[in-house]
Amino acid sequence: MNGEASTVTGGEVILRAERLERRFGGLTAVSDFSFELRAGEILGLIGPNGAGKSTTFNLISGFIRPSGGRLVVMGRDVTGASATTISRMGLVRTFQHDSLLSEMSVVDNILVGASHRQRGHEKRMEKVREVAAMTGLADHLDTIAGNLPHGLQRMLSIAIALAAEPRILCLDEPLTGLQGAEVGAALDLFERLRTAHGLTILLVEHNMRAVMRACDRLIVLNYGRLLAEGSPEEVSRNEAVIEAYLGRKR
Amino acid sequence: MQIRSPGVWACVALAVAAVLFALLATNPYHASLVVWILTNAVLAAALRFVLQIGELNIATAAFFGVGAYTTSICAVLLGWPFWLTLLLAPLVAALLSALFGWVTLRTKGPYFLLVSFAFTEVVRLIYTQINVIGGNSGLVGMFPPMAIDAHYPAFAAALLAAALFALYGVERSDLGRLFKAIRNNDAIPRSVGLNVVFLKVLCVVIAAAAVGLAGGLHAYANNVIAPSDFSYFVAILALAYVKIGGEGHPMGPVVGAAVLTLVGQRVAGISAWENIFYGAVIVVALLAFPGGLIGLAGRVRGLVRGGAR
Repeated sequence: MNGEASTVTGGEVILRAERLERRFGGLTAVSDFSFELRAGEILGLIGPNGAGKSTTFNLISGFIRPSGGRLVVMGRDVTGASATTISRMGLVRTFQHDSLLSEMSVVDNILVGASHRQRGHEKRMEKVREVAAMTGLADHLDTIAGNLPHGLQRMLSIAIALAAEPRILCLDEPLTGLQGAEVGAALDLFERLRTAHGLTILLVEHNMRAVMRACDRLIVLNYGRLLAEGSPEEVSRNEAVIEAYLGRKR
Repeated sequence: MQIRSPGVWACVALAVAAVLFALLATNPYHASLVVWILTNAVLAAALRFVLQIGELNIATAAFFGVGAYTTSICAVLLGWPFWLTLLLAPLVAALLSALFGWVTLRTKGPYFLLVSFAFTEVVRLIYTQINVIGGNSGLVGMFPPMAIDAHYPAFAAALLAAALFALYGVERSDLGRLFKAIRNNDAIPRSVGLNVVFLKVLCVVIAAAAVGLAGGLHAYANNVIAPSDFSYFVAILALAYVKIGGEGHPMGPVVGAAVLTLVGQRVAGISAWENIFYGAVIVVALLAFPGGLIGLAGRVRGLVRGGAR
């Protein structure tokens, strides 16, 4: 891909959050947050630290339950469903921290990812080899995950998710700590996953340049509420966004 | 999976040797010592099996007791055939552990440990309150059929060794990897569509089936059982075997059980000092050689090789 991540949008709505809300005691982490994810797009979820991005991720992947609102995935109401159920439907997430099985080998990490979908050891190993080749891990299969260089650890966390054959892939800050060339390779992988494998990707990321390049659409979260929505160009010109996020950061 | 590694063949040879020793030993005490060691080895291996998911299951002792009581009740009170009573021991233990696990495995760490401890003591106290099964004094008179009686130690040793290999086989399978994944970081298996609570229950059930069988075999080996044989202390001893032998290696529980059971024959009879002895051994082992005897052997071998270079 070379910069024109653009017009693949317009697929059917594959995930819809309606007035999502989550309170932790007196703190409201996310409130009145509605958005749609369309099949085949790469949607960026951005916002300053503490804006509620991680909470949103936990809500849509079933790791925490919403205090209010509704979540519909592929036409099915999954509000309050477990992480296991949502993952089996095809929405698979990665984690920002502790994103892999650090004491286990790369093979075993990916094998765990493939365990539910693939029946039998041979089929799982086939999946492991396929995913490892896609993510550049083929030469590191026997390495203990915790000993991998940082960039490969990030790729492994994506590989685990891919082994579960998702339709919707939710990536929580997958580029954090990557070097220049690694960022490019990761973005190429995202684009390939979308075009060659038909995946829909929701991306939480701090690297703004990468977000602008990779995403078709952005939604901006601030203080747990939707602040803006639109193409990367529109959002980067949005006064409120500049003030809340980009302005403060520069 | 490379199950057919030289190490496994060595273990098969060791198991065959143990069975043959039990079969040919002229001194019945020696034959029953083999059964005793292997029973302890199964208890320790089962405890270590559940440690795979990161939980210390004190109820390992309870399911050992459930197996023993199931076999004894069916044999003595109901007069059911030998094979059926032995088959029911692991089945009933597994069934009860499934109920136990389904309720309790939503907790982890110290909470699960305490619940499993309480469960073990409650089950033991229930035995003492039921007169039909002998209350405090337990049950007497479980004997293997005549055809087997003479060779019972070898028979029991063979089944116990089989249980050990079965636990090892599961550990090495894909399922074993899922157990380890849960211990390492349970968010990962959840995120890829695995039902973590179900897997944890399955782990506890498999271990309970193994100790349930060991309990049934123990009943016939001992001919008498009592509630006090199945207190939480059984699990503490099993933990000692695991720690002494080495938690990191499948043979650890077997080595630990063998060493401590043999040493235990020397210190038996010094009553309260016996428990102090086991406690001291655990502390010293954890401080001096954290990898257990097997870890120690590995380090010594490393030193020798390093010196030769």
